[in-house]
Amino acid sequence: MLTATLVVGGIGAVCALILGISLVTFAVKMDAREKEVMDNLPGANCGACGFAGCAALAHELTVNPDTRMTCPAVNEKMLQAIGEILGRDMGGVSPVIAAVRCRGGRQEAPVRYEYVGPRDCRSAQLIAGGPKGCGYGCLGLGTCATVCPFDAMVMGEDGLPRVITDKCTGCGKCVDACPRDIIALVPKTGNYCVGCISQDAPKDMKKICSVGCIKCGICADVCPFEAIVSEKGKAARIDQDKCRKCGLCVGVCPVSVITSRTAPEKARIIPQKCKGCGICEQVCPVEAISGKAKEPYRVDPGKCMGCGLCIEKCPTEAIERDNT
Amino acid sequence: MSAFKGGVHPPEEKALVRDKAIETFPLSPLYHVLVQQHLGAPARPIVKAGDQVKKGQVLTEPMGFVSVPVHAPTSGRVRDVGKMVHPVTGLLSPCIVIEADGNDEWADGLPLERDPFSMAKDEFLEAIRNAGIVGMGGATFPTHVKLSPPEGKSIDTLIINGVECEPYLSSDHRLMLEEPEKVIKGTKVAMRVLGLDRAVIAIEGNKPDAVRVMKEKAPREIQVSSLAVKYPQGSEKQLIKALTNREVPSGGLPMDVGTVVQNAGTAAAIWDACSSGIPLIERITSVTGRGVRDPKNIRVRVGTVVRDVIEFCGGLEGAAKIIFGGPMMGIAQFTQEIPVMKGTSGILVLTEKDTNISDYSACISCGRCVEACPMGLIPSTLSKLGERGMWEEASKIGLMDCIECGCCTYVCPARRPIVHFIKHLKALSRAAASKKKGA
Amino acid sequence: MKDVFVSSSPHIHSPEDIPWIMRQVVYALIPGALVGVYFFGLPAIKVIAVSMVSCVLVEALWQKAMKTRIQVNDWSAALTGLLLAMNLPAGCPWWMVAIGSAVAIVFGKQVYGGLGSNPFNPALVARIFLLISFPVAMTTWPQPRPFFTQTADAVTGATPLGALKTAIFEHQTVTAAPPIDLMDPFLGNIGGSLGEISALALILGGLYLIIRRIITWHTPVAFLGTVAVFTGVLWKIDPNIYAAPAFHLVTGGLMLGAFFMATDYVTTPISTRGKVVFGIGCGLITVIIRIWGGYPEGVAFSILIMNALVPLINRATQPKRFGAQA
Repeated sequence: MLTATLVVGGIGAVCALILGISLVTFAVKMDAREKEVMDNLPGANCGACGFAGCAALAHELTVNPDTRMTCPAVNEKMLQAIGEILGRDMGGVSPVIAAVRCRGGRQEAPVRYEYVGPRDCRSAQLIAGGPKGCGYGCLGLGTCATVCPFDAMVMGEDGLPRVITDKCTGCGKCVDACPRDIIALVPKTGNYCVGCISQDAPKDMKKICSVGCIKCGICADVCPFEAIVSEKGKAARIDQDKCRKCGLCVGVCPVSVITSRTAPEKARIIPQKCKGCGICEQVCPVEAISGKAKEPYRVDPGKCMGCGLCIEKCPTEAIERDNT
Repeated sequence: MSAFKGGVHPPEEKALVRDKAIETFPLSPLYHVLVQQHLGAPARPIVKAGDQVKKGQVLTEPMGFVSVPVHAPTSGRVRDVGKMVHPVTGLLSPCIVIEADGNDEWADGLPLERDPFSMAKDEFLEAIRNAGIVGMGGATFPTHVKLSPPEGKSIDTLIINGVECEPYLSSDHRLMLEEPEKVIKGTKVAMRVLGLDRAVIAIEGNKPDAVRVMKEKAPREIQVSSLAVKYPQGSEKQLIKALTNREVPSGGLPMDVGTVVQNAGTAAAIWDACSSGIPLIERITSVTGRGVRDPKNIRVRVGTVVRDVIEFCGGLEGAAKIIFGGPMMGIAQFTQEIPVMKGTSGILVLTEKDTNISDYSACISCGRCVEACPMGLIPSTLSKLGERGMWEEASKIGLMDCIECGCCTYVCPARRPIVHFIKHLKALSRAAASKKKGA
Repeated sequence: MKDVFVSSSPHIHSPEDIPWIMRQVVYALIPGALVGVYFFGLPAIKVIAVSMVSCVLVEALWQKAMKTRIQVNDWSAALTGLLLAMNLPAGCPWWMVAIGSAVAIVFGKQVYGGLGSNPFNPALVARIFLLISFPVAMTTWPQPRPFFTQTADAVTGATPLGALKTAIFEHQTVTAAPPIDLMDPFLGNIGGSLGEISALALILGGLYLIIRRIITWHTPVAFLGTVAVFTGVLWKIDPNIYAAPAFHLVTGGLMLGAFFMATDYVTTPISTRGKVVFGIGCGLITVIIRIWGGYPEGVAFSILIMNALVPLINRATQPKRFGAQA
């Protein structure tokens, strides 16, 4: 009995010694800041950042200054702490989502040659600048979908990728993979996006793509919030910080190139609370509200674009989202 | 015992144009002279729309040592300095368009009459550079740079490359057969520049008539060597290994093993430049393949539009691919609105039967690619890394040593586009390197 | 010019593709299969048919279920089916063959990702699975009888290697085993798996593959050579307890293994040197199992064990790079 105890105990001691020595001799040299950064991350190891857990993100952030802070679960305090540790500005908290800025699929934007080669957009781009007639449009070989770690990007029958909103974490892997920089990260709160980044001259657009932006500038003109930038020679671009999601631009675009992510919930006035002040009618950008003074006003659901300005401005909180 | 390891034996297909004498392509009404027809620093156009130019007049100014000018292929008026699809990149590139006036008048003083062998080495190099001479085997590396190796690199061997290992092509073959003296005299000039008293002209054994003619005309100091046929023997590194058993070190150049290799066509151009001051404005090109009705070898001026060349050769018939160069390393084109360039050794039109457009499947590790690779790489592993964009791992197993000869892809039974995967990895590697530099 | 194709170079291709290669191997196996049919009759035909059809069906169903491209027209499943059949006793019941086919395709190949991704030889995975699951059926060897003399009841008996192992266990000497005329296993008039019995037929098939450049000579020569040398040395030491090299070369699954199983592309090394190392390893392990192991035959086990070492062998036998610095 004693012998057995001593032998097993001895083996245990030897193993412990070996492990202890290994811990020191084979210790992985790590930048001390990595651990500090990791301590300031949420620690859920969810992988939404696009890396294999919080330790991996901490490592990438520390060794590669180009790494985007893609953790969707950090708060301002964490960001500030990390920023101090690494000595750089980490930006603010703003959940983002991928947006595909091209609507030229197989039908709309034809190819100029039959491509034969690896099923990868970056590889196709190497061959004479890609098979697409449009030099800016989506090549449709699905590299963005392949690299997405969350199955949040799916190639459609039309040859264009579609973002699955519920699954996208804004990690940005698709943005890096696209050889034509078609995918952009936009705030999750946004809803509208111009589906084109072409810089081809308007007169050439008809030959190149039936739904490409023709740089007419009408969208920029009608936007009540000056949220659309329409530079000469470039496709229109929506400034998500200014966009109030009224949806006016969608209606006026002659080629229907502006996309919306979700169908917005329309506004509904609660008659009991409405004092008939008329502020909502004034702020409505699409003239969907009407009424008489001192009487409850009404929203025309046919015109309402769900921008929510009236809800914001109503002094008696008499307007709500109609989610029927 | 083969002279170099690896390689493949694709069907030669030279019978289509091998025995056809060179025909001169008639004067075109319009010439599109691309500004960048060489490897190296860009050149700046020095003419503008409306300028009158003469044949052989210089049109651009090189901006750096590794740079050469281009010249007007005929006399006429510059219509504009615009853009045209570049056959190598497929992208729009600066291009000088010249409307021919039909007189085909040489620029003042041209052609000269001088004895090149009374020139000094520096005069040679200047003449070669001013004539815009580049490697005409297809690589288009500026010849004056190749012929001036830096201090510390001693050269003891000059090889003139008449191997033409690519199937279908016969432009160097016909050149050596019909103008052997030019090639030989050009070789002598190159020998003078490098300070050598010996040189070798290498020709593959499938051109016995060219071997015979060159052997007859070559003086004692120029040895004509007939080599057993194997692709890619015409590749610099493989040719040097086959002739001298020297291996150019990984990441190095032929001058690191004391060798300079020049294409036979380049040698002839060197002679024209040094003896007559004639710049590089035309070349011999094989227009061949079963996709063109009347294959020919043509003497064609740089800037001629390919649509006209193909029409001259009977037009297209069942064309599935139009290729600049040979079938193993040539560049497929998506339009006929492209100009002939200094490095256009062939315009090859393949039918669907003669080319491969099938889809690819997974690698089955058969090992044919490993056997075929002349650089001793493992193309199957590179292709699998290429599917995943893993350029760092690929660089560790010799990615940058790949000469993109195509032997691996030729033999792969899974029809995997291995060279394309490798090009993709190289592009990722270069992007990462430039990002690092810029950061 | 929308009907023009544009791809990276090269633009020409050797005519050989995967279906062509697989078909050549099937053709090379035909002599061996015919000998098996001749000596074992209708049951052999049944085993071959069930195996090939089951393999193709299982692969097609699997690929459909996984929503990937159905690639049975690449002939690889058909080849696996034929190879599996060649490795089974002719008396195997059809349902056992079908199970074996399913194991070969699903657990030998598809779960790893399909063609090109499997580390182990699928036919051998199935064979060993059946051997362990149904040991009696898999070691019941019908005796060979010329085609037209077969009756409904097949007589079974021991194979030469089986008799050898019994003799060693019971009498500690090989001379106790009934002597055999080596011409019998050379031509095929011997008990064994339906495809392994005729060394001659398999050598002819193997030579066809080498001439057609489907396989190289390195693995078969290394495998057979190692067996010959190893058993030769032992036999010289004591011919009473070790059988002669000629005996070892023509009996059992050695010829089938050396030419058709140890040369499977996917599961063997990619470089020539690696192939030699692989062949030598298989030879050593085969002899060790035959002489000192519990099983009378070691070819299948040796190949599977060497399959596991292939990534290591590939790492250690990389080709020399052109212009490599020292």
